[in-house]
Amino acid sequence: MSENKGLLSSGLAMVAGNKRYIVWFWLLNLTLAEFGTGAFRRSAHAVLDHSLAADKLVHGFHLATLFELFARPEFGPMSAKTMPAIYFAFIFLLATALFLPGVFEGYASGERLLREDFFRACGRNLWRFLRLMIIAGIVMAIVAGALFGLQSVLLKKVSESTNEVLPFRMHMASLAVIFLIMTALRIWFDLAEVDIVLKDQRAVRKSIWAGLRHTFRSLFGLLANYVAITIIAAIVLVGGLWAWEKLVAPESVLGAFLLVQIVLFLLLIPRFWQRGVAVSYWQQKMMAPAAVITPPPIPLEPLPVTVPEPTPPSPETPPSTPGM
Amino acid sequence: MHTRSKMLVTVIAVGAIALVGQKSASKIASAARQVSTSEKAADIVTPSSGGSALVIPDTTLAINSPAPMSERVVHYEIDAKYDAAKHTIDATETLTYHNLTGQSLDHFPFHLYQNAFQPNATWVREAKRDGNRDTSYDKWKSEEYGSEEIKSIEVVGQGDLTSQLRYVAPDDDNRDDKTVIDLRVAKPIPAGSYVQFKIVFHDQMPLTQARSGWKRDFLLGGQWFPKVGVWWHGAWNCHQYHAATEFFADFGVYDVKITLPQNQVIGASGVQLSSVDNADGTKTVTYHGDDIHDFAWTASPRFKVRESVYPSQMGPVKLRFLMQPAHWDQADRHERAIRETLDRFEKWYGPYPYKTLTVVDPEPDSAAGGMEYPTFITGDTSWFAPNGFRLVEIVLEHEFGHQYWYGMVATNEFEDAWMDEGINSYTEVKVLDSMLGKNTSVIDLAGITLGEREEQRMSYIGVADLDPMAQKAYDYYSYNSYGGITYGKTASVLLTLEGIIGEDTMQKAMHVYFMKYRFTHPTKEDFLKTIEEVSGKNLRWYFDQAVYGSEVLDYEVSKVDSFPTDWYVKKKDKKDAKKGGKDERVYQSTVWIHRKEDFVMPVAVEIKFDNGETIREHWDGQSRWTRFTYQKKAKVVSAELDPDHTIQIDRNDFNNSYLVKANRKPTYKLSTYWLFVTQWMGQALAWWGV
Repeated sequence: MSENKGLLSSGLAMVAGNKRYIVWFWLLNLTLAEFGTGAFRRSAHAVLDHSLAADKLVHGFHLATLFELFARPEFGPMSAKTMPAIYFAFIFLLATALFLPGVFEGYASGERLLREDFFRACGRNLWRFLRLMIIAGIVMAIVAGALFGLQSVLLKKVSESTNEVLPFRMHMASLAVIFLIMTALRIWFDLAEVDIVLKDQRAVRKSIWAGLRHTFRSLFGLLANYVAITIIAAIVLVGGLWAWEKLVAPESVLGAFLLVQIVLFLLLIPRFWQRGVAVSYWQQKMMAPAAVITPPPIPLEPLPVTVPEPTPPSPETPPSTPGM
Repeated sequence: MHTRSKMLVTVIAVGAIALVGQKSASKIASAARQVSTSEKAADIVTPSSGGSALVIPDTTLAINSPAPMSERVVHYEIDAKYDAAKHTIDATETLTYHNLTGQSLDHFPFHLYQNAFQPNATWVREAKRDGNRDTSYDKWKSEEYGSEEIKSIEVVGQGDLTSQLRYVAPDDDNRDDKTVIDLRVAKPIPAGSYVQFKIVFHDQMPLTQARSGWKRDFLLGGQWFPKVGVWWHGAWNCHQYHAATEFFADFGVYDVKITLPQNQVIGASGVQLSSVDNADGTKTVTYHGDDIHDFAWTASPRFKVRESVYPSQMGPVKLRFLMQPAHWDQADRHERAIRETLDRFEKWYGPYPYKTLTVVDPEPDSAAGGMEYPTFITGDTSWFAPNGFRLVEIVLEHEFGHQYWYGMVATNEFEDAWMDEGINSYTEVKVLDSMLGKNTSVIDLAGITLGEREEQRMSYIGVADLDPMAQKAYDYYSYNSYGGITYGKTASVLLTLEGIIGEDTMQKAMHVYFMKYRFTHPTKEDFLKTIEEVSGKNLRWYFDQAVYGSEVLDYEVSKVDSFPTDWYVKKKDKKDAKKGGKDERVYQSTVWIHRKEDFVMPVAVEIKFDNGETIREHWDGQSRWTRFTYQKKAKVVSAELDPDHTIQIDRNDFNNSYLVKANRKPTYKLSTYWLFVTQWMGQALAWWGV
């Protein structure tokens, strides 16, 4: 438990000591999302700007007006609005993969990382990370596919129950299990990522094995850390949505924007905290102990033993100590 | 109270009078055989010649009325045994039919609705082709199979006529469809007389489809017995069962015995007369219904029962709620919805005359929710039903409303579905607006709102140009079109009508229509003429387009322009015109109104100027466009069509107004939401992806 606390606090300390990374990632996501929502904004302007009917969207959230907007031919198909958003969300994923090595390097370094060192780490590890992402993607997709398949079979069985709430409970319980397993996989690949960067490991497979070994070795401790952080993220999200509904007036666009951005900013922290935990763990458990360079023993040739002539002790020199 | 003999004499007299004006046309093409009056006269055999006289009972056990309220044509006596393990029903049915058609009848068509649930039946074919509410039939499952087989049929006085039965498909000639069977009698049944059929039948109930069948250990017995067609406007009206159609039947009396396992809790149409436990672990429950045209029942071992009494205008009504155990905490909500709906229907449209109303909370995930049968409805809810999401109230109100339009007015749902579903959707808007608020009657949750009238309009505008309301229910372009037009358009058309004749007048017209036509199977013209009579207005121009046509209404403010009349004066002089910062110049302002589609109706236009002045104009909409021009010391700020928002059928609300100075706030607000979704999506992807 004290070890868990140590990981959590040291991970959080890393995040706190490198807040600028969160700010940059938030700004990056905001910028990409701005591009992603451009098509939506342009289409909405064309229909709403000169219509009094649009006012119903300002004073509350009037579903009928929203549905009618989506149904208008001049608004265009919804897919033309959702696809850019999905593309730019994917670009944020790739950008995260690109810059994450620099973040790990920064977390591991006790002091503020120089910009060139940050980008050097990013560049050095780019292809390793892409390889790792592909492998992680395949493993996670296979496991998730199998788990959701199993869940579907289970729910089908349970759906025949006369207890109406049972399928829902089973659904939630199975989702929790899937979440735990997927989080364990995430821990594995987080450790592998950290290992690649901090060990400057070219052989990605070695880091994958190292990550797997340590995930099994410290599964419960690491999982507890990751789950605790995820719960905090969920609280932030739910609390943010609650505040949005309760505290921001429907007419206040600026208020909604600011609150939403604060929530999204806060939601970035937990994941970086988890990465901080991974870096901290790596430093404590996976880092090879610092090599102690000891000079080879110098063979001592037996010196010719000469028995000095005993001389009478001089009153000026003290007697010598043997072996010094 | 009438005696049986008095009633017989009366009915024979009515039949004789009707005979004078008889028409001899049969709806059942394959079975149509015209029989001349002279031929019929030769064949007349009074049923009473075999012995005891037949009558339809004039009982009033199940209604709060001292006398029958409908012209009773049928008397069904059914003795059914339900096998809960096999989901089968074996029954005997004695149908007494009173020939009030005014002519002798030589054949009788019967509905066998349960045969709809077979892969080659018209119902399934249409559902697969057009989509359906309950099932898409991606894959045929054996438990979805349903059947209704007449083992034998005897006509009293004429012997066993089972061999005379022929399946017919009057609507689409589908030889694999067995939902209508026609019986040619050996001797025609004279006008005014009675005929009695003794039928033995067997049902295999399907996994619930179309609000009938079983799910787990629950059963909804709807459309489960052979039902004779309706002689309507000079012909048999007995359509096949279609994926989009519902039902049509004559009023009468039902005496039904159901034998089922003792652990089952049962509910049914009508009043329960007795329940007797049998030695074999079953019980036999007896029901009686007056002035109803169908009989449905339900059974489940897990229903929890709540009963109370509603004091209706005609007498006490026993409310019986059969709830799922997981929904027991919603029993109050169910009862409140029913009572508030009853209050409004009695006050606005007319009294509820029956002594019972059974409200069934069906098995979850059973496709049995949201259905109406006489004095018997099914609701729809789940264990998680937040108050702000009004599904419970919407479904209960809607199904109860059917007690009036389907149950008592009893229009032909095969041919005029809008007269039941649509009028019911209109009254649903009125009642729910009153109960739950105009803009919040569907959803009022976390700042998100939706009103029932808007929901009805939304369902219509997507299919506005596909079909007219006056369309056979099985002839719609698609299932969506059937729903959007039958429910959504009718409600929107009648709400728009309120703007033309006034809300009070419309309510009065609905009351007159109900009181005048209950228990009579009225036609669409009966309804439309009632509105014209009550309002004192000729509304043909509206009905022709809205009811009989598929014209679409879309008016727009296409352009607004203001320019100074001294536009040619040099800039320096213009500045002089703005004395003390106040613009004293005269502007010529023009507002263009455009009728984009083919629906023509008068409309008001409200024009606002920047000096605070507001002008209302009226346009008859006859030409494709018009413009209003003004010269004022003010510029136009906005122009709005239908400023009182009385028109519910305009396909596009956004172009009904024009703000000269763009208001970007709505877009910014939506963009903020969309931005949040996009950013969150990116972060979620990055959470798991790397």
